[in-house]
Amino acid sequence: MKYALFLGCKIPSKLPAYETSTRAVLRHLGVTLVDLEFDCCGFPARNFSRDAFVVAAARNLALAERAGLDLLAPCACCYGTLRQAMRFLGEDAALRARVTQALAAEGLVWTRKARVEHLLTLLARELGADVLAAAVRSPHTGLRVAAQYGCHVLRPGEVAQFDNPAAPTLFETLIGATGATPVDWPRRLDCCGDPLHEANAPLSGIMAQIKIADAVESGAEMLCTACPHCHLRFDAAQTGSPDQSIRTMLYTQLLGLALGLPAQSLGLAAPLAPRNP
Amino acid sequence: MPAALFQTALYASLVLCALGLVWRISAWFRVRIGPDAQAPTPYQRAAAACRGSVSVLCSRRALHLLGVFFLDVLLLRRLFASGKLRWFGHLLAVLGFALLLLMHALAPLLGAKLFQDYQATLDPYLFLRDLFGVMILLGVALMLLGRSRARTGFAAPRDPAGASFIALLAIVLVTGFLLEADKIASARAFYRMAEQYAGTADPARLKPLRALWASEFGVAFEDLKGPQTPDLLAQGRELHDKACAACHSKPASAFVAYPLARALAPAMAGLEQGQADVWLLYLHVFACFVGLASLPFTRFFHVLASPLSLLLSGAGSAGEFFPAGRVSRRALALDACVRCGICDARCSVAPLARYLGNPLLLPSHKLLATTALAGGRLLRSGREAETVRAADGAFLCTDCGRCTSHCPVGLDLEDLWEAGRADLAAAGLPRPAQWVQARPAFEWAELLEQIPGKAFAAAPLAACAPLAADSGSFSRCVQCQTCTNVCPVVAHGNGAGHGVDLTPQKVMNLLRLGLRDLTLGSRMVWDCAGCYQCQQSCPEGIRVADIMYELRALSVQRLGAVRSHGAQA
Repeated sequence: MKYALFLGCKIPSKLPAYETSTRAVLRHLGVTLVDLEFDCCGFPARNFSRDAFVVAAARNLALAERAGLDLLAPCACCYGTLRQAMRFLGEDAALRARVTQALAAEGLVWTRKARVEHLLTLLARELGADVLAAAVRSPHTGLRVAAQYGCHVLRPGEVAQFDNPAAPTLFETLIGATGATPVDWPRRLDCCGDPLHEANAPLSGIMAQIKIADAVESGAEMLCTACPHCHLRFDAAQTGSPDQSIRTMLYTQLLGLALGLPAQSLGLAAPLAPRNP
Repeated sequence: MPAALFQTALYASLVLCALGLVWRISAWFRVRIGPDAQAPTPYQRAAAACRGSVSVLCSRRALHLLGVFFLDVLLLRRLFASGKLRWFGHLLAVLGFALLLLMHALAPLLGAKLFQDYQATLDPYLFLRDLFGVMILLGVALMLLGRSRARTGFAAPRDPAGASFIALLAIVLVTGFLLEADKIASARAFYRMAEQYAGTADPARLKPLRALWASEFGVAFEDLKGPQTPDLLAQGRELHDKACAACHSKPASAFVAYPLARALAPAMAGLEQGQADVWLLYLHVFACFVGLASLPFTRFFHVLASPLSLLLSGAGSAGEFFPAGRVSRRALALDACVRCGICDARCSVAPLARYLGNPLLLPSHKLLATTALAGGRLLRSGREAETVRAADGAFLCTDCGRCTSHCPVGLDLEDLWEAGRADLAAAGLPRPAQWVQARPAFEWAELLEQIPGKAFAAAPLAACAPLAADSGSFSRCVQCQTCTNVCPVVAHGNGAGHGVDLTPQKVMNLLRLGLRDLTLGSRMVWDCAGCYQCQQSCPEGIRVADIMYELRALSVQRLGAVRSHGAQA
């Protein structure tokens, strides 16, 4: 199994542990990752110019296509953006013509060959939760974990093709595979607030706080993320918060620990403290 | 050249260079970039830098810095990581320059002391001088080649001062080689030396020596043509060994100047007539002096600023001497940037820059805009368009950090961009989300009406916002409010005093009523998180969130036009 790893902008600069843990876990599971010269997925340009955003996304798709690989995005927003761009390219012939011309200047072509997977879809569908469960060495038995899906892996459902957007179970199943107990929490499908951080920081903070409070109230000890935006937003909201009863962890770290990988190889300072029975 | 003239010119250029250095170095403590740069005075910043330097140099960090100095400053480790060709070119050019400076330019001061029995006309120095000169030429050529390989689709920022400096360097090297060639081929110089060291300038008595120097030392005697007899040459060699050999190696080892001298031979009579040696010497020496005096005012000031930047980067947070040090480090960055363009080639938004035709998205161009903003040159009237493009560049940056991690001189560019964005905001150019919300939506709509429609002819609505342009995409809206009910921004904003002015369903309704312009400046459109709850839940399948994205892009474009229209009015 071989993928072009699409890290995007946020992970290498702000959350390198996500890259470290993704590489460690996938190496352990026998997935080969290839690094291509990808650039921004286009997401930040969506508020600026529809064309520019689609061109940026299509260039990445074309690069993967040239290498004969599918893309693997650990970031929910990159995943959603790349797939959105494919939708727009598919439904708008004039846009497709403009983009084709822009790509041709670099000798690139996009012919819909490269698929876009999210880390979670790779783990759940290509590998399978049962395979993961079988590889687990030290299960997180009893750990109550709230799954933070991230908007852009779920919605719009016809673009994301991830799971049932109204009642997804994919992430909970993956958490269950590590031996932990997935927690049902009412706000699990809500936005983390990160996209609003630049436009309206107070509201962005409120949205993150409300989600965290909901997870705590639902009995979760951990918020599990699979998107750098959600993860960093929760981390920022937790910093200085009086309530430290919940911690945020990347799914790759949770899984990596369960697989018996050393904490350092997952970008963690220390393994999870043993739980009181 | 009269000694007095030489010395006057030398001291004048040294004084100018020193003044330039003081001016440029003081800028590290004067130039203000970022909100935290407004408080500390230049004196406080300089004092903090001095205190910090002493404390770092007296700490265990100093050992680490020694390593940084060797690996990063002398051996250019970071450049090596970015491109072997440019690394080799830079090393070659710097090494050639430094050695030529020590051995040749500073010969009376240092060369004679450093190099045993130094004589410019003896081997190995005769050979080395040409070698060092060629190293510089080859090094510069390799760097240019490496640069042309890292294409970004944009020409490098204009830099007349830097280009002039390179031209001066070329003049120095070319006149140097020509002067050397002229001296080798000069018959006049031969007679002058013969008189001094062999005691005669009589061509008849010097016949054997002339024969030897014509055939083996490249001297162009007008009255001596064709091959010489072995007898004569043997006599000449005897004389040569007695009078000349102590100071003269065969010039063939000057592997550039000697072939050049051979090539110049037919023209030597004319060149001697026109005193070419004098002119070349003046050109050579004065180009050196002009280069010396102008160095602080060109990007070659980086010879001082870049090593400092690398050392500061190596010192880690200790090198920032908070908070004044971080501010000074930003000002230093403007000088330490060598405009190599490695950051541009790695920039995550380079494809966006190309498509939008805006080079100010690229780091090296953005750094110059930051310099212009700090110097108050960006916001002058007449540069509005450039200012807007600079703001676009600043706010489309994704903070991916690739420019910083690939910068060969260790600049903390992310810090610089963040500070630059804050300065832009302070100067009235915040992020679109902020400037749009400075007016209520209805005011924007009124202002939009005053803009001539043809202002947007270049960007037809159907191309940049096809869903918002097509009534078919929203006319099915039955105003059921499902979108509003699931919207987290509506839900959380209202209770917390960050309420929106419209709701998603009202935005759809305004579109249905043909009042699209009223939505563009609305808080709802700009506070939309793009979470797609509305679109996912819409019973009519209206792509509410996709339309919101389009409205924001449309807002940037159209309300941006209103803003620049207002600036012109």
